[in-house]
Amino acid sequence: MSTATAPAKPPQINPKLIIPFVTSVRSVLQTMLGLESKIGTPTIKQKPGTEYDYSGIISFSGNIVGAVVVSFQREAAAKIVEAFVGSPVEPDTSDFADALGELTNMIVGAAKKDLGGVANISVPTVIMGHGHIVARPSDIPCLVVPCTTDLGGFAIEISIKTA
Amino acid sequence: MPVQEQEMQQLTAMVWESILSLPVEPRAGEPNSGPSMMSACVHITGAWQGAVSISCDADLAARAAGIMFALDAASTGKSDVQDALGELANMIGGNVKALLPEPCQLSLPSVVDGAEYSVRIPRSRVVTRVAMSCEGSPLDVVLIEKETPLQ
Repeated sequence: MSTATAPAKPPQINPKLIIPFVTSVRSVLQTMLGLESKIGTPTIKQKPGTEYDYSGIISFSGNIVGAVVVSFQREAAAKIVEAFVGSPVEPDTSDFADALGELTNMIVGAAKKDLGGVANISVPTVIMGHGHIVARPSDIPCLVVPCTTDLGGFAIEISIKTA
Repeated sequence: MPVQEQEMQQLTAMVWESILSLPVEPRAGEPNSGPSMMSACVHITGAWQGAVSISCDADLAARAAGIMFALDAASTGKSDVQDALGELANMIGGNVKALLPEPCQLSLPSVVDGAEYSVRIPRSRVVTRVAMSCEGSPLDVVLIEKETPLQ
């Protein structure tokens, strides 16, 4: 006699928590960099995580908990930071990290306004180093939203839920 | 300074010893860095804003995961190690939060893993840094405060 096992439920992601980030990426890139951006098909992040060269992390607390990570490969980060600052910035310097942190803060801060509820966002943490992985609590699904621009692509990893 | 160095050492040791039954002691020397480091960070928002970050080498993090989840070395996976380090950061952060002005909220932990990386929190400053050692492996705990913009 065989026993049937129920298939594992896929992680549930509330689209109301995702759409504000899509809107804010387009808005921030257009406003701050004059860049049009294309949003790719979001996918559930599978293990192991994609490796990046730079990541800006902002954590949520309050009615929404989790984190949002904006991750870049080196070449795209350099071009986007140059467009953001208005002049070339040496990669891996504190100025470079500050620029990526500020861009992350603008994207997440703009999205926070449309998320509803009372949520606090942290100061950005910027990770610099080839091949790093940012891991978050395994009980919150993570949606990866790929973004492409004329200066290169990057990804937003959204791993938040209502508390 | 919202949390003194000695307080940070004590609460780190308390969490480490009560959860893992592993002794930790102050370590002399520079902050640890190397090719096999892992870091976990929890952010604090509210009346006080900043972050608590802990860093240790991957071997110590794996040992902690094995103890926390009662796993042997062979069956301890990467996600177990990341979850364990994040949970330890959460516990240390929770104890730090209790020493800060109220009300404050603690974020869920983020864990960074990789060959070589650096962590920077723009517009913030390190207020307390403690270098500890657990059976010869380095363990660093840093309290970072968001800088108040000039008026």
